[in-house]
Amino acid sequence: MAYRPSHRKGHKTGSGEVRLQLTSMMDMFTIILVFLLKTYSTHGQLISPSQDLTLPSSRVQHPPEMGLDVTVSTDWILVNDQAVVRMADVAAQQGFLIPKLNETLARYASEAKKLEEQYGVRFSGKVTIQGDRNLPYRELIRVMYTCGQSNYPNMRLVVYKEEE
Amino acid sequence: MAYRPSKRAKHGFEWVDTNVTPMMNLMVVLIPLLLTSAEFVKLGVIELNLPPAAQGQTALDMQAMPVEETKKLDLTVTITDQGFFISSSLAVLSGDREGAPTIPLIEDEGSMIYDFDKLSERLLEIKQAAQGKFPDTDQIILLAEPDINYQTVVSTMDASRSIRVEGSLVPLFPEVALSAGVF
Repeated sequence: MAYRPSHRKGHKTGSGEVRLQLTSMMDMFTIILVFLLKTYSTHGQLISPSQDLTLPSSRVQHPPEMGLDVTVSTDWILVNDQAVVRMADVAAQQGFLIPKLNETLARYASEAKKLEEQYGVRFSGKVTIQGDRNLPYRELIRVMYTCGQSNYPNMRLVVYKEEE
Repeated sequence: MAYRPSKRAKHGFEWVDTNVTPMMNLMVVLIPLLLTSAEFVKLGVIELNLPPAAQGQTALDMQAMPVEETKKLDLTVTITDQGFFISSSLAVLSGDREGAPTIPLIEDEGSMIYDFDKLSERLLEIKQAAQGKFPDTDQIILLAEPDINYQTVVSTMDASRSIRVEGSLVPLFPEVALSAGVF
């Protein structure tokens, strides 16, 4: 037989009003709010790191800036998230210049310069380079050389900031 | 006459709950807003500004250009698979023996790693010795072997940019340039 609460002992059986306890939830929300306010950034995410590479980490304190995005992953070189040339093809080529990348960058540069002439949007020649941390120096310098040759001399190497 | 509460009637404590609903509304709006603008991965950038590619400069133009008179330091750090070589226009700093790197690799838990702290210390010595004697005591050139990975290059840049002495950052050679070298 199921347990029946005794009336004499004062066990409450009535359909009393049940209130939702919100205090603990408020505590939680307050903590989350403080945490989020701490990680708040006014300019949002200017650069979204690519999925298929791990950026190197550095002690540098310079905040990210907007610019043409060149990503050098383990397999591909991408400009503004569009695949340009395979890394295997780059490795097979001789010389510093990467012709396909040069072509693409030059096209972006000429478009940006057209914008500058017609609408006065200043062309800064800024390019942000995202490279995998295991990228050999040989390929890095070739990408940088190509950027320099394609009217993008102001390079920004994207890194993870190390917390001190 | 003011209302006087009856003494006969019971006036016990009664729990009055705070109305937290407006607060909850506020939280529910604020949290998604902050979540979208939160910065979970702290990204930074290393600035490298090259002079724009020289166009149409011929050998004759180069000859007509004035010759540099001042003696420059041209401090260079070369990253090799054996360690760092530090050199300048005057000399190559030698290691403990002939042909050995200035700062060799050190052993750490069974693997060989680069000694970035030692590099910073040596560069601080050079900076203090060269200050005022050369025009380019803010500049350093990095050179690496083709197979050195990106992380090592970035860490070397960090090590040559500044050093932490007694809790404060002392700038060493903030203007870092990468050199292609000879491949």
